[in-house]
Amino acid sequence: MSSRILIVEDDERIRSSMALALEGEGYEVDEAPSGEDALDKFAAEPAHVVLIDLMLPGMDGFECCRALRRHSAVPIIMVTARTDTHDVVAGLEAGADDYVTKPFVAKELGARIRALLRRARPSDDEPKVLVFGNLELVPEQGVLRTRDGNEVHCTRTEFRLLCELAANQNKVLSREQLLDRVWGYDYFGDGRLVDVHIRRLRTKVEPDPALPRHILTVRGMGYKLVP
Amino acid sequence: MAEPEGSGQRTTRRLGGRERLWARLGLRGRITFLFGSGALLLSLIMGSISYLTASHFLVTERQSATLTKALTDAATVQTGLDPALDNSAAAVIDQLDLASGTGALLLQHGGTYPSALGLGVGSVPAAMVRMVRSGTPAVQTYVLGGAPHLAVGIPIPAVHAVFFEIVDVSDLQHTLRVLLLALTVAGLITTVLGAVVGRTASERSLRPLNAVSRAARAIAGGQLATRLTAAAADPDLAGLTSSFNLMVDQLEERIQREARFNSDVSHELRSPLTTLGATLEVLEAHQEQLSPRARQALLLLGADLRRFERMVADLLEISRSDAGSSDVVLEEVSAGELVRRAVVASSRTLPRFEPPPVHIAGEAERIHLLVDKRRFERVMANLLENAALYGGGATKVITRIGPRSAGGEETIEVVVEDAGPGVPETERSKIFERFYRGQAAGRRGTGTGTGLGLSLVAEHVRLHGGRVWAEEVSGGGARFVVQLPIDASGPDDPADEPPDTADEPDGHDGTANGSDGARAHERLDAAGREDGPGSEPR
Repeated sequence: MSSRILIVEDDERIRSSMALALEGEGYEVDEAPSGEDALDKFAAEPAHVVLIDLMLPGMDGFECCRALRRHSAVPIIMVTARTDTHDVVAGLEAGADDYVTKPFVAKELGARIRALLRRARPSDDEPKVLVFGNLELVPEQGVLRTRDGNEVHCTRTEFRLLCELAANQNKVLSREQLLDRVWGYDYFGDGRLVDVHIRRLRTKVEPDPALPRHILTVRGMGYKLVP
Repeated sequence: MAEPEGSGQRTTRRLGGRERLWARLGLRGRITFLFGSGALLLSLIMGSISYLTASHFLVTERQSATLTKALTDAATVQTGLDPALDNSAAAVIDQLDLASGTGALLLQHGGTYPSALGLGVGSVPAAMVRMVRSGTPAVQTYVLGGAPHLAVGIPIPAVHAVFFEIVDVSDLQHTLRVLLLALTVAGLITTVLGAVVGRTASERSLRPLNAVSRAARAIAGGQLATRLTAAAADPDLAGLTSSFNLMVDQLEERIQREARFNSDVSHELRSPLTTLGATLEVLEAHQEQLSPRARQALLLLGADLRRFERMVADLLEISRSDAGSSDVVLEEVSAGELVRRAVVASSRTLPRFEPPPVHIAGEAERIHLLVDKRRFERVMANLLENAALYGGGATKVITRIGPRSAGGEETIEVVVEDAGPGVPETERSKIFERFYRGQAAGRRGTGTGTGLGLSLVAEHVRLHGGRVWAEEVSGGGARFVVQLPIDASGPDDPADEPPDTADEPDGHDGTANGSDGARAHERLDAAGREDGPGSEPR
């Protein structure tokens, strides 16, 4: 079964051309001209990936992103006309997993979508359950839960980021390594993706996100997870 | 006809020289000079008047006193020489009560009777003696034995005698000399005081201008919100303050309008380009269904659409860096890895050229740089593309430690060399201008570059506080050198930071307009300003 993609874009020509190109890449495409419409369509039939343009009439892209996040861990790619720190970081903090800048190449967008749809696949010699602090991570089931069995909700990207860190406990992973393994970017990927996701992860797994005890910053090197 | 013209030119030139000297003094220097010379002139006039008045008064008074005394003494002599008394002339002279420094001389019947030794007819000017002998009283000042003297000659016809009184007026001359000295000293003090007053006054009146210059520098450094505060109800400065602030208001408005325009253009251009690009890819995916002619047209369309996309992206990038945009993301990276990765990544976009060999000098490998990776990758990509388009492809890329910059900072140099025709010396700075096409581009004719690549290189390098230039490779070819300052702030020592802080690696903060933007702007400022760190605007 091919993956369903929901495109939220007010410009009809861009929407249609993106739909054409993505259908050409083998995806099933659904279109929504506004944020409100997108939420309805998603509620009716959830997509596997959502593309959201940041500049939408009415409910803007950030709001639409936050609204989707309240109910779903679906991978979200935001589409922006600018690469300003403000737009990119605000979009990531609203819950987006990745971003592309207009004008983008459909092939590149396809690659981004494939990277997000990839499942976390720990290699065979790794334990089935990764434990740190009060938390248990089960990569095969895609589940993060506390020792007493309460599930902690996180997005697919956050989960994969946590898996990478947990599978390499006490080892420092550079941002470039994380960008490559989680998002499929090369060396020149945007490190802000990692930073914002780490910050979001900390709010979910750290007792005090301001004083992290598990996901630590190693200055000038990267991040590491200590149990 | 040629000669008057020539001499006229000379005059002008000389005047010009004087004006240059005058101008070189500066406003403060000129005001100080004017005040000083005014004070000097004033004290000269006042001093001269004082001196002349005082000396005239002193001399006249001494003369009249001497005259009075001489008349009294002459009367005494006349009485003493009365034949009825039968006094000797010498005795009469001796009886006179003369002050020190005063001598008397009596000439009677060919005899000379002085009051003191050393006095004689020679003590009085001969002309004066003749005059008095002929019956006319006389007063004369003259120099005797190197000292000024005043002589009063009175004929005493009743006893056929002539009487002289001779006064040494050295003391008077001494007094006048002291007076002159005092006046000169006073004049000099007045001149210096005048100059000091001039300096102070000019500095005081220029003080508001310093505020203006500080504000202007702050504005030039990007702090557009800087305004002059109105000097409390000073009518002389209110005009300057309000017109300066008005200028900055309008400047700020214009810059904001331009930034808005750029952002609008950015969005408006990107949307149709997105549609075009996506549609083109669909067409390309189905090109085997097209006729050969249509396929050829699609090929042309695709090539130029991509070029157009690149040009728009470059243009927007340049306009963004003009507006001091906040999308600079600085990260600490290893110089060696950065250059190697950038060369590999850039070469992927130039499919016809092999990536050139990369040499990293030993010390350069360990250096860590604080850079915007994406921008650095653009720099390398554009330099390699330039070498590919105009130099037959880059032959090597070298990374090495550079010489210390003018500010004493350590630098690292990334060098891209090709074996092409090189860049003519006259074009070496022009090629970094926007849309400048060198002769090489003209020769090539196809013009596949956007004309913005090298100017973008210059912008990005400047943003990192570095510089870029082109030079000649001995044996032919062009060498582009990117020199970046080595930021010493980030040694890769994990121990220097307690591990339990929420900071991102390299202190990088991803929040909107976070420390990165601020740091990048600091660099931007430092790059744009030529002053040292001491003249930091407020």
